[in-house]
Amino acid sequence: MPDWKQIVRKNFRVLGVCSPELTEELADHLEDSYEALLCEGVPPEAAFQRAMRQIEGRCRGWLVMRFFKEELMTRFIREAALPGLLTSAATCFFYWALALDQVRSRVIWLVGGQLPLWWWCLLPICGALGALLSRRKRGSRAQRIAASLVPSAVMGILILLLFAIGFTLSGLVNPYGSVSARVESLGIAPPAFVVIPAAFSLLGAGIAEVSTKTFGRLT
Amino acid sequence: MASVNAQIKRGSAELAVLTLLAEHPLHGYEIAKQIEAQTGGVLCFDMASLYPMLHRLERKSWVKAEWKTLSNGRRRRCYRLTPSGRKQIAPLRAEWRAFFNALQSVTGFQNA
Repeated sequence: MPDWKQIVRKNFRVLGVCSPELTEELADHLEDSYEALLCEGVPPEAAFQRAMRQIEGRCRGWLVMRFFKEELMTRFIREAALPGLLTSAATCFFYWALALDQVRSRVIWLVGGQLPLWWWCLLPICGALGALLSRRKRGSRAQRIAASLVPSAVMGILILLLFAIGFTLSGLVNPYGSVSARVESLGIAPPAFVVIPAAFSLLGAGIAEVSTKTFGRLT
Repeated sequence: MASVNAQIKRGSAELAVLTLLAEHPLHGYEIAKQIEAQTGGVLCFDMASLYPMLHRLERKSWVKAEWKTLSNGRRRRCYRLTPSGRKQIAPLRAEWRAFFNALQSVTGFQNA
């Protein structure tokens, strides 16, 4: 009797990521197909080949593609991307609200009014929101952390892109300019919009994690 | 035997599976075999179409899967219809009936 679990594991290593039960279920299906063929009087070798046809070539491709589309993408969207989007929306909303003249005039600004300290203070709420939503959708710990860090990651990518474009353009305009001066042009953007917000969001996600566990235990 | 276009087959698969599971819980292989037998081989689902669909139905909470030990001592992942899944059968049937009636009025084909 062929070891169907081993065969499925070997052919569909990638599907183990989707669901650990899936490989077992597919192996069971192949085993049943093989045994049904044997009962019909098909010789073992031919029965094995016919059962294998279900997971070879085009069929294998379809199966992997469908599971990727149906399971992995759906799970990724539900457990990480949507909570991340919500975190980003909340982060942008707080920044926009604090940037309003009426609000800005009433809050304390750091370093000559460039860095909104109050925005940073609100970021743990955003991080917690993303982490909690991801947890609610049964996201893993990595996904909960990722969901809370989406705004900082997006900001980091944008800053890097803009910096790369600026770096290239300034090199074309002034080829003799020093590289260090061009790097300095980044200014305070990375710490103000990426590193510190990421730390505050992560703090929020951590608080959400601890409080969920504590309250979960209490209830 | 006329083969059925993959798009039509995919659309009708959910109704076929839900109707079958309304009778009693079945595991994946049994579902495929019973549909094939009951339709005389017109509808036959390969693993690539059956399992993603079963897992999708499970995500929608229309079916519930659980590991069961069969009479031969083997463990199989059996699917059973949930109350929410049972509620889907009537609207799906109505949808397909409306579709066939509409098609019939255009093409003039009659049910055998």
